[in-house]
Amino acid sequence: MTAEVSEKLRALPESSAIAMRLKSEQYFDAIQGMIDRFAMKKDLEVVYVTSTIPSQSIINALEVLEIPMDHIWFVDCISQIMMSQEKRHPHAIIVESPTMLENIMLKVEFLLRRVPERNALVVLDSINSLAIHNNTKILSEFLHILVNNLRSRGAYTVIFSMQEYETEEIRNMLVLVSDETIELGG
Amino acid sequence: MPTKEHADGERERCVTGIDAIDHILNGGIPRGNTVLISGSVGTGKTSICIEFLIRGAINGENSLYLSVTEPTDKLLQNVIPFDFFDDRLARQGKLQFLDLPKMYEKLGIDREDLDLDQTRLLADTIAGLVEEQKIKRLVLDSVTSVCYRIREQERIRDFLLRLGTVLSAKGCTTLLVSEIRSSEEGYSQWGVEEALADGVIVTGNLERRGDLLRTLQIVKMRGTTHSRAKYVLDLTTSGVLLVPLLKGGSVTGGG
Repeated sequence: MTAEVSEKLRALPESSAIAMRLKSEQYFDAIQGMIDRFAMKKDLEVVYVTSTIPSQSIINALEVLEIPMDHIWFVDCISQIMMSQEKRHPHAIIVESPTMLENIMLKVEFLLRRVPERNALVVLDSINSLAIHNNTKILSEFLHILVNNLRSRGAYTVIFSMQEYETEEIRNMLVLVSDETIELGG
Repeated sequence: MPTKEHADGERERCVTGIDAIDHILNGGIPRGNTVLISGSVGTGKTSICIEFLIRGAINGENSLYLSVTEPTDKLLQNVIPFDFFDDRLARQGKLQFLDLPKMYEKLGIDREDLDLDQTRLLADTIAGLVEEQKIKRLVLDSVTSVCYRIREQERIRDFLLRLGTVLSAKGCTTLLVSEIRSSEEGYSQWGVEEALADGVIVTGNLERRGDLLRTLQIVKMRGTTHSRAKYVLDLTTSGVLLVPLLKGGSVTGGG
């Protein structure tokens, strides 16, 4: 699975916006394939926007896999509203709520500005959890602006979509903003 | 106004160094403009002004911050630790901070309300300082506090006109900080300030479904075309960042 993810990503040019459709049980394999086998090999700066699970849970998984954190940064939109007491990793920036979509864009911009010489992979995890907190109109607008901005910088954008929670509206949104769809295990 | 023009008729620009603002203004503030930066507390006015001065100083333009409301050493303790700030700018005199109450003291202005002569003396002293130090960027934080001491609308008008005309002639681009309440209509306490300024930049708080967003909008800028849309603002160590305000959601509060 991890090899499948990295191979499919490697086949795509820079500036690509990719919808990654996966099942819940493929979640951590997809992250490993994307970060360890794709981004690390291509020496990309990774900005990981999480609205699904707290950044610390993903960081714990990355540490188990012994993936170095030097070039991985998190924009965490879920820990604050969960009133999570977990320690804050120095590579995690908190956005108060997944409804503050502009602030997500601002934090991504902030992190990318720090390393203008490096190319980047920006991960949105996930469209489904963002759709819980935002209506379709504002979410489409957010994706449209964010993806186009990242495309102009030459960054890869990967948007996670959990197949079990997809709706017609989410599928339409993904078609609108992404250049490619990667469907895992299917 | 004796400000320079390019061959194509475009006014020379003062590139603020805040990328998004320069982008909105199609290249920066027309040089010599006096711009009101207006907003309620905590909306980022002072941070924007300080970044404007630091970026100018880095670019070789002498920059001066006149503080009325709080001593500059206290202000500097609380300001964002910008990545691009360099101590040497202050040591080289490129970036200067001055407490206006000290200037009042030197000028012998000890009354709470300034008469016409004192008002003119203050404007002339600031203008003299700009000339002497070859200042190209000036911030007065806040013009509201100065106007509180001038009180009379006519004298406020006289002060702002006198100051604005001289600074513009010297090619000094000026930001005047205007403190307003969030509920207030208009962009200044006395109404005179916004009418005389060449530009008005408004910072605010926008409440949307319980989230409080910092916003910025350029409502007026003489000498350039510009976007009048509202943007969301973030104050970071890399400087002020802006993104467009998303319009898809329901907005329940103003700001």
